[in-house]
Amino acid sequence: MKAHKSVNIKRLYDLIRRHILSNGKSWLIAYGAIAGSLLLITLFRGYFQPTDIGGLAGLYFAVMFVGGYIFTAGIYGELHQAQRSYQYLTLPVSTTERLLSAWFITAWMFPIIAIITMALIVFIGNLVMNLTLDVTPFAGVFSADSWGSVKVYFITQSIFLLGAAYFRGYNFLKTMLALFVIAVSLQIIAGVTGWLLFGSPAMNVEIGAHHLSQQMENLFMHTIPTVAGFIFNYLFVPFFLVTTWFTLKERQV
Amino acid sequence: MVTLQNIDFGYKKRQLLFDQLNLELEPGRIYGLLGRNGAGKTTLLKIIAGLVFHRSGESLVFGYDTRKRLPACLEDICLIPEEYQVPAITLKRYISLNAPFYQKFDHEKLAWLLSEFQLERGSKLNQLSYGQKKKFLLAFGLSTCARLLLMDEPTNGLDIPSKSQFRRVIAASLSAEQSVLISTHQVRDLEALIDPIMIIDEGKIIFNKGLQEISEALSFETLTEIRENMQPLYHEEGLGGYAAITPNIQGKQTRLDMELLFNGVIANTKGINNTFKA
Repeated sequence: MKAHKSVNIKRLYDLIRRHILSNGKSWLIAYGAIAGSLLLITLFRGYFQPTDIGGLAGLYFAVMFVGGYIFTAGIYGELHQAQRSYQYLTLPVSTTERLLSAWFITAWMFPIIAIITMALIVFIGNLVMNLTLDVTPFAGVFSADSWGSVKVYFITQSIFLLGAAYFRGYNFLKTMLALFVIAVSLQIIAGVTGWLLFGSPAMNVEIGAHHLSQQMENLFMHTIPTVAGFIFNYLFVPFFLVTTWFTLKERQV
Repeated sequence: MVTLQNIDFGYKKRQLLFDQLNLELEPGRIYGLLGRNGAGKTTLLKIIAGLVFHRSGESLVFGYDTRKRLPACLEDICLIPEEYQVPAITLKRYISLNAPFYQKFDHEKLAWLLSEFQLERGSKLNQLSYGQKKKFLLAFGLSTCARLLLMDEPTNGLDIPSKSQFRRVIAASLSAEQSVLISTHQVRDLEALIDPIMIIDEGKIIFNKGLQEISEALSFETLTEIRENMQPLYHEEGLGGYAAITPNIQGKQTRLDMELLFNGVIANTKGINNTFKA
């Protein structure tokens, strides 16, 4: 028996290449349609409000988020087609490579291409509108908030990667539905907890009014938000990647 | 090469398709896997390829647990399913995207097989006919030089010349260390190719014998009548009388009729298997 390697760089490269080139045509069509629409919107905005192309940043990032989630949810499309899944599952690659290739394309390559596209659209918008090329419009798109959005996308897309591996069809919609159910469940739990602690299920309980100790106030005002922030920033992605790995490992046709 | 030990498998929780199934495949053979509809032929191939997981027992291919789907194991397994969907890319692109995963991939062999099957590299896979797609997948599979080839109904959809071409190509391109497991209903298409013959029924391999062994133990005859003292192991009425399987006591050389053998084994498993023990 040969020694087993979970990750082989050449195999990983070949798998990423296979992913991209097998789906390249449909991805390019979608990319062209979305980028073209955004460019048109930018030109219209530039025509009517030529000084504020950068103000479109919100729209660009909204498109990046939704587009990225849909793209991520469909990354394991081959796995869910009954007559093609055998090919993907018998390909001599490890589960880790199946995970990493999809994660690389959706969490790293997609946002990089999205950001470059945004910059190009703003740049073309500026050129077409004959505006002076100063840094202001670009700064509008790539502000600190924007980079924060990219980080949030990077973290939250891992949920859709799990959805892509777990669900066998309508992956995006099913993942959204699962998120909705989880969100409602958490709201109910929070409501019940609030009712048990403060006698009111309302979310905006004034801590001072209930004579909570300093310790409790610290817990609710500092410790919980800090821990939640830490979990979101550092544990969220690893958790969903590991879960996706097990989902892929246990996947059968 | 392939060892399945005490395999339990079922698609439904309380219903087992395989109950303590055992199977051993050796290198250098072309195994024919026969069975009734729903007997589990395709499922057995899927278990060996690691596409479905058994509930209990052990499934080893080249010493690897098939459930782990390790690259070193998958590199030596090639599955050609009965039903498949191909991507809308050219043959050339398909080869360039998939061949790099197989370290032993033989591009010369592929070129030979493509020319044998008259397939153009520039053609789009999704625009080929069903039979042409099958030939391409077969050519690609053989070129991977995988040590274990699993084929599910490989002659389905092939025209008459292609069926003999298929037999010729398989026989010519296999090495001594390779094995093929062919699941089929079309026994006549593969009569000259498969050896040994395995029959699966009710969750178990009920028959697993080589052609030589079968010819020595059984006689396949056409009888005008069935007399009481003949006691054939199995017989069925045909146009010219009765096609019958009898114990080959006199050491006669008769032509093996696989369809008759299959029906015989299904109808009289114990009787036919006991003939081999005698």
